Amino acid sequence: MDRRTFLSYNAAAAAVPLSGVTLSTLAQSASAATGPAIDFKSNLPAAGAFPAKWICGSSSCMDNTDPPVQAHWYNPHTAILRQNKAYSYEAPFAPLYFGNDRVLLLDEGYTQHRNEWDLRGSVDQCIDEWCRRNGRDPASLELLVAFSHLHGDHYLAVNQFADRPNTRYMGQTHEEMVGFWGMTNFPEERVTLDLGGRDILIWGSPGHVVSEFAYYDSYTQILYTGDMFYRGRCYISFWQPWFDSMQRLIDFCDTHPVTHVMGCHVEISKDNEDYPYGVTWQPNEAPVEMTVQQLREAFDYAKTITEPGIYFTGTVFLCNQTRGTTTIDVNPYRYS
Amino acid sequence: MTQSHTHSAAATGSSQSAAARTHPNGNPDMGYNPDGVRHTDSALPRRPRSPVLHDYAPEGPAPGTLAFRWIHGSSVAATNRDPRVQVVQYNEDTHVLRQNVCVHWEAPFTYLLFGNTGALLIDSGATAEANHYPLRATVDAIISRWAQARGRGTVPLTVALTSGEDVAQNQGLVQFAGRPDTTIVPRPLAAMKGFYGLASSWPAGTGRIDLGDRVIEVVPTPGAHKDGISFYDPYCDILFTGDLLFPGRINISNDRDFVASLERLQAFAASRPVKWLFGGHIEMLFVPGKHYRRFVNHKPHERVLEMAPAVIDEALRYAREIRGQDTILIRPDFVLLNGVSPDARTQAWPEGVPNITPPFHY
Repeated sequence: MDRRTFLSYNAAAAAVPLSGVTLSTLAQSASAATGPAIDFKSNLPAAGAFPAKWICGSSSCMDNTDPPVQAHWYNPHTAILRQNKAYSYEAPFAPLYFGNDRVLLLDEGYTQHRNEWDLRGSVDQCIDEWCRRNGRDPASLELLVAFSHLHGDHYLAVNQFADRPNTRYMGQTHEEMVGFWGMTNFPEERVTLDLGGRDILIWGSPGHVVSEFAYYDSYTQILYTGDMFYRGRCYISFWQPWFDSMQRLIDFCDTHPVTHVMGCHVEISKDNEDYPYGVTWQPNEAPVEMTVQQLREAFDYAKTITEPGIYFTGTVFLCNQTRGTTTIDVNPYRYS
Repeated sequence: MTQSHTHSAAATGSSQSAAARTHPNGNPDMGYNPDGVRHTDSALPRRPRSPVLHDYAPEGPAPGTLAFRWIHGSSVAATNRDPRVQVVQYNEDTHVLRQNVCVHWEAPFTYLLFGNTGALLIDSGATAEANHYPLRATVDAIISRWAQARGRGTVPLTVALTSGEDVAQNQGLVQFAGRPDTTIVPRPLAAMKGFYGLASSWPAGTGRIDLGDRVIEVVPTPGAHKDGISFYDPYCDILFTGDLLFPGRINISNDRDFVASLERLQAFAASRPVKWLFGGHIEMLFVPGKHYRRFVNHKPHERVLEMAPAVIDEALRYAREIRGQDTILIRPDFVLLNGVSPDARTQAWPEGVPNITPPFHY
């Protein structure tokens, strides 16, 4: 099977031999492996809600009582995971999209070992929960473990899924990433991944790093922009590719309905105060979701930028080729 | 408890006793330290009948070592199980306390010194909540143990800060509010100057905190903080320099004051024996010039705390060099940041310093 057919093949049919050796502990769900197919194409966009407040660390990390992974159900077929800040300061967000045949996990956090941070357990729990609600066998669902871009805080836990049955995970080179989605013309080419009635549109979004994708879920109509555009400090390593990627996002929003623009992190407070790189407590954190209008404003602002530096668009900080030499924070004790 | 030195085979479960037939390897139902056994309490000297007067004027510096590795956090901070306050005895009358890196990334050091008539706590940690950072309870336990060994009922405590404004050192102060026999040096700059008798001479002159035959000298050292203070202990010959000089990223808040303070400190150190400088934090790695960034709560490759007194000369030399410039300058044992962000990094590597790649660190 080549990558083009992989994007749209019927995973449930291919997985039938596995249902006999199901890992599910729920005997009844194994027998009810085929609940009614869910319609992901009507009444769009599917309603959903972000939480009023995510877990956001604590003043003392060792006294943190939040779960290692917060799993928020945006709607019955979409979960959004967040890593606890006391487990990693990067605290990335990771959407988990369910289709009739396959499940897509985007991003795998910043802690490698399962005994330190059990992402796989949390994902399996979400899948079990969804299957119980929808009368499916978890073993019949194929899990796709992909990530937004080639940085450790987005793929480090990927090895936890290496021995998981009926699972495909993305390799950690540019060629493997592009090949995983069957792309031959990165970044312009847009491919459609079929999760079983639920289409995910994927295209290249370089700029923060070379190897990055934008993911659009046609069911919730959430545009997931990874680290190239998120509510915090967008570290732009390569200006022109980033600007071109922004143009592609704007063009996409011109032709497709988008409910939310969502990045991988939040590094800014509700009062637009910067949370410095590495903090483990963000008590007044801004929401992770942004509007298309905010994306457009940021792009309009970016059109005026000609020099490296840090710029605030009203929503995000655009750190144009500054990483490693400049930051926003100042020494609070300075006096003259 | 009365201590008996008579060996009782039956009580200890020795294999020679009659109980050996039923419990050849010892009776698990018996306590580990039955009466009459020389257990760990015996390691303490007998409680003295009258207060012991210690000689705080030895020839040369009082002996002492920092013989333990510091607790340094863990890769996942949420599951850290180290003590919240690590206590290391430098010697019987000098204790070094470190805050757990997973309670607060600043992981400040706090010092507890004893003299014949009182004790001094230098700094108070970065966390106010006693259940997260039980500084007061730890200090109380050390003091009562020391008082017992020295035959004292009460030990008056003075709590002083290397900087009243530094939130990495003043947060634990609230835990000492209302503590009996306790003097807390006031935090506002003017009141603090008055307390040390430096109201007219600041930043020149020195103050004194008399602990009873151990007189701690107070040296004004603004520069990293407007109200910066260093303490000199003539018993151990240690200078406690707080945020002014420590193995880490030294944020200069006023370069004129910083240079002047180092000049005064240099003159002060020249007139007294100095064995070590103890700062308020560690941020350097064990290889020269490499350091952790802010907010890290796993620092397994830290440099040691103690700095040789020659570091004053080096810091002064390079502080003069960068005076008036917004810049960051790396030296083997510290990094100077003047007028730049506390997160600032630099590609400029100092000449003559070996550039060694350290193990992975954040």
